[in-house]
Amino acid sequence: MGVEALAESLGQNVLTTTLGKLIGWGRGNSVWPLQFGLACCAIEMIHTATAGVDIARFGSEAMRASPRQADMMIVSGRVSQKMAPILRTIYDQMPEPKWVISMGACASTGGVFNNYALLQGVDKIVPVDVYIPGCPPRPEDLLNALMILQERIKAQGITPRQ
Amino acid sequence: MADATAEGMTDTGTIGQGVTVSRSGEQGAFGGELLTINFGPHHPSTHGVLRLIVDLDGEQVRRLKPVIGYLHTGIEKQAEALRWQQVVVVTDRHDYLSPPFNNLSYALAVEKLLGVDVPPRADALRVIMCELTRISSHLVWLGTSGIELGASTMLMYCFRERDTILDMNEEISGFRMHTSFIRPGGVLADATPRFLDMLDRFCNAMPANIDEYEALLTMNPIFRSRTIGIGRLPAEDAKVLGATGPMLRGSGVAWDLRKAMPYSGYENYDFEIATSDLSDCYGRYLVRIKEMRESVKILRQALDRLPDGPVNIDDRKVLPPPREELETSMEAVIHHFKLFTEGYTVPVGDAYAAVESGRGENGCYVVSDGTHKPRRVKFRSASFVNLQPLERMALNHMVADMVAIIGSADTVLGDVDR
Amino acid sequence: MIADSLIVEKGVSAGDAWVSVAPDSIHTALSGLRDDGYRLLVFLTCVDHLADSSKPTWPGRYELVYQLRNMETREQIRVRTFLDGDPPRIDSVHDLFPPANWDERETYDMFGVVFTNHPDLTRILMPDDWVGHPLRRDYPVGGEVVEFSEEHEVWQTPPPRA
Repeated sequence: MGVEALAESLGQNVLTTTLGKLIGWGRGNSVWPLQFGLACCAIEMIHTATAGVDIARFGSEAMRASPRQADMMIVSGRVSQKMAPILRTIYDQMPEPKWVISMGACASTGGVFNNYALLQGVDKIVPVDVYIPGCPPRPEDLLNALMILQERIKAQGITPRQ
Repeated sequence: MADATAEGMTDTGTIGQGVTVSRSGEQGAFGGELLTINFGPHHPSTHGVLRLIVDLDGEQVRRLKPVIGYLHTGIEKQAEALRWQQVVVVTDRHDYLSPPFNNLSYALAVEKLLGVDVPPRADALRVIMCELTRISSHLVWLGTSGIELGASTMLMYCFRERDTILDMNEEISGFRMHTSFIRPGGVLADATPRFLDMLDRFCNAMPANIDEYEALLTMNPIFRSRTIGIGRLPAEDAKVLGATGPMLRGSGVAWDLRKAMPYSGYENYDFEIATSDLSDCYGRYLVRIKEMRESVKILRQALDRLPDGPVNIDDRKVLPPPREELETSMEAVIHHFKLFTEGYTVPVGDAYAAVESGRGENGCYVVSDGTHKPRRVKFRSASFVNLQPLERMALNHMVADMVAIIGSADTVLGDVDR
Repeated sequence: MIADSLIVEKGVSAGDAWVSVAPDSIHTALSGLRDDGYRLLVFLTCVDHLADSSKPTWPGRYELVYQLRNMETREQIRVRTFLDGDPPRIDSVHDLFPPANWDERETYDMFGVVFTNHPDLTRILMPDDWVGHPLRRDYPVGGEVVEFSEEHEVWQTPPPRA
């Protein structure tokens, strides 16, 4: 069989790509979030998962209860000084590669609560990939953040966070 | 650790999903040792960041101690640093499933100190917002406890209607959840015609939707076997332990602040207090379903009888002048400027006002020292008190039933920790 | 009913009836009220009157407030008592009103008021190793300095001692 015949018989069934792109494509389209509700934003996070907005269209409906099965942590709400060590422990329990979305003003900066009790931004204890403004952000905002993150994961390829 | 009770277990270990176990050495009734289990604070069934330390004898709960504070936000301290009208914004965020109730209890307390009464249209709009929020708060409870008891479909149905309510919030206040709609001296703005139209359609559609929820759960054998007889709280215990709201009414005590100590014109509406004598998780479920139906009735009455007139008190020292006045009146400009740079002062004294939220008595105690910032704002939150009977309810139940019991208490951790 | 000999002062504030009693008779006064039908302790809290100029003199720096309700007659009464000292001490009333257990722990956590005879007087909201009592007026609001904010200096520094 000649090369031309081979190409013809395979037709459009074979694509060539790099391994990095393939892995990035796979990872980006199946980001499993950790089911980690903290405060008000958690309710909007649930809204994102329900029929109205339907995060399942983007492959992220599988909210995992265990950090060991999750790829992405959505810090949905204010993080108190008491919760901070626990949040970090949970983050450490997640397997690499992992991503963090800081959802809402409180998680990103402390929001309207500039006081003793709250961590003024979750980026003090975990690296954050995408920040979402809003108090709480709309479900569409979370969806948008997920899409931004997906683009980033796809671009990172086989070795994220180098 | 695969088998936590196996011989040779170390003293403490993690079995995953936020559960840690340790052996106390104490003997249980079944001949084994009591096992101390730590639930949470990150656990899928604890409704937020509640942590429970449970002593188990076999699979039965012998002791249960809630550990709270993982969502402590310092709202009361923050309120002391804000001016009277700015505090409204932080009140929204403690019980984040029922912002208008938090606004209302704060506004009523401040209005008590100021000695003002709001116009009838403002009262009616307050009632409308509160009843809408009661429904949306119960819908979150119904959806999430459905998931916990294995009825995942409930969430989709409940959040469909909740989305409608949030759209209405957005129409009237511009915000989906934290509306800050009710404030001392009145409400943010008058209802738009589109809002009233949406409310009308909602009142027409909602009873059929509630029938739909009931069709999924009320006679569902799995749901019934997981809730009937589980988490019993006799009426006397509920009273002694200070429970309010559906926790108290689910034990057969007809106590509702809307009837007992009416505020905002609730005495003019015709509705029933939902109670159930079952005193268990199923009874509390029936109470909340009935409450949603009664709320729709109140909404319909409020909409039909919505009085005309202003929605704010006519006091330029407390509320800003209307936008159009700013262009013609110098006095209005000065009032506007003074209000947003200094705020207003409230007469010296203290006042307590309470409203019946979806979870129980949501109160606010304010102390004024005559300055433009409060001396003390204390939120009497329903969840903080309703969490204390948890041990009484969960005692001698299976550990799996704890999920149903925590769900039926319907605590919001933001409300518990503030 | 409270014996008249226990009442230091009584009055009405914004429509709410109140009585004030001496701190060492709080348990007697509240048990009298409870036997009289005031079975529900609505809330218990503390107010710090440090540098409060709304009255020329305060009987004590810490004002403890007990709001009681009679669920049959729907009457409410507020019982106040004033405390001083470091730490301020008062009898626990958890044996009269079970919900007072957590309220007292919260008051201890936030104001440092020590309730004698309390079964488990530990911090409830703040982490166990926290230093200070956040809701005291000489405890700064905390948080982070916000650039171009007129109030940040006020927030970061405690008010002067009275």
